[in-house]
Amino acid sequence: MHLTKLEERTLEGEHGWANQIAMKILVKLGDLFGATKLIPVQSAHLSGVSYKHMGDGAIEFLNELADKGGRAQIQATLNPSSFDPEYLVKRYTKERFGKQERILASYGKMMIQPTLTCTPYYIQKPQAGQHLAWAESSAVVYANSVLKAWTNREGSPSALAAAIIGKTPNYGLHQAENRKPNALVKIEARMKTETDYGILGIHLGKLLKDKAPNLVGLQGSDDELKQLGAAMASSGMTAIFHTMAHRGKEKLESFSVEAKDMKEAAASLNTSDQNPDLVFVGCPHCSEREIKAIANLLRGRKVRKDLEMWVCTSRHVKERRQNYVDTIERAGAHVLCDTCVLVSWIKDLGFNTVMTNSAKTAFYAPTLNDAEARLAPLKKCIQTASNP
Amino acid sequence: MRGLSIKDKVLCFPSGHGSTVGSYVLYSLVKKGYGPKAIVNQVADTVVVVGAIIAEIPMVDQIDINKVTTGDTVEVDGDKGTVRIEG
Repeated sequence: MHLTKLEERTLEGEHGWANQIAMKILVKLGDLFGATKLIPVQSAHLSGVSYKHMGDGAIEFLNELADKGGRAQIQATLNPSSFDPEYLVKRYTKERFGKQERILASYGKMMIQPTLTCTPYYIQKPQAGQHLAWAESSAVVYANSVLKAWTNREGSPSALAAAIIGKTPNYGLHQAENRKPNALVKIEARMKTETDYGILGIHLGKLLKDKAPNLVGLQGSDDELKQLGAAMASSGMTAIFHTMAHRGKEKLESFSVEAKDMKEAAASLNTSDQNPDLVFVGCPHCSEREIKAIANLLRGRKVRKDLEMWVCTSRHVKERRQNYVDTIERAGAHVLCDTCVLVSWIKDLGFNTVMTNSAKTAFYAPTLNDAEARLAPLKKCIQTASNP
Repeated sequence: MRGLSIKDKVLCFPSGHGSTVGSYVLYSLVKKGYGPKAIVNQVADTVVVVGAIIAEIPMVDQIDINKVTTGDTVEVDGDKGTVRIEG
């Protein structure tokens, strides 16, 4: 990989240990994946925030990096944390609170914004063609596929390194030829709800692994495509999909998705027929439009006493839609910012069965939360969670 | 390998796999004094590469690790990317 004189000096340690480590990560990954140089990125978005998924080694590393001068050179944002400061924080031990706070303090010192959301694109929407270094697989797919920005699927350390250096190696999806479709998928099944898009995503992720498919002529709202991408990136290594109406001239590997594929995928995402003790909407974090839809469905209803309903979103979206948030909270649901089910310890809060409209959550809850999953569209979730 | 110590050993294995946390585990091992002296891989992957960098463990890849047997003396040059097996 070709480096500028300045980059060389950073690599040799002239700009301190933190910059050197960050540069080493970028250069080594660049060499590994065939990059030719580093290119500037508009923003970095970091996973690796919730203490639940991090372990103590990460705390030490982040602390050392912050102490030794690691500072973000570009706009850098953070994924959700293991609790919110209003509701969940009161229900956890001091130890977990302290460790989570240390992680957030280190990122804070490194000038990384505590956005604590998996949907940074609602706070600042990247432009088509801008290069980014984003971790959080659902945001990566959304950025590449819906917003047409350019990012690889970063891990937590490589996104952090990109934040500190302000650059990323130019391999993978930073090259136009790697963004082109290399598989065609005809969707024969009917897509009725946002949950159908998630189910489709789980099926496609397993089927296509890390391919860049064209889902020929598939139509869906941004929120539906958000569900699709989040699910694809959970069951597979997908980082981009297309929905072009034309099949293109090249002969590509072809697949079709039938109603029976959808049925099978849906069955795998419903691990229980027990009544849920938690109904959860907001994976990925709710958009303003979704908050409005939830409020409209919940208006005049009351959440049942034998369960909880959580609606997770970013602080940014909550503040912009406070009137709808009030409606949701009046109905007895909790609107939580900064966190979600997957990154918090719901089992320790006594929840055993989660009903959700998110296929990503249904896919992960049995392993990440040791909980049973029930997948249902938003309307059904709200009918289950509340009474008129 | 369960139960074996990798402290001060040259750790040879085909390739890494898994989530980012794996990188931090390597860092943590070194900080606690239980880290390997060096890592030799057949194929490098993101998790191990990043782990070796942040933990400052010399690492070499593209090595046919079938030529190495547990207990061999192995010399690793992380800068040149070479491995010498002394048997």
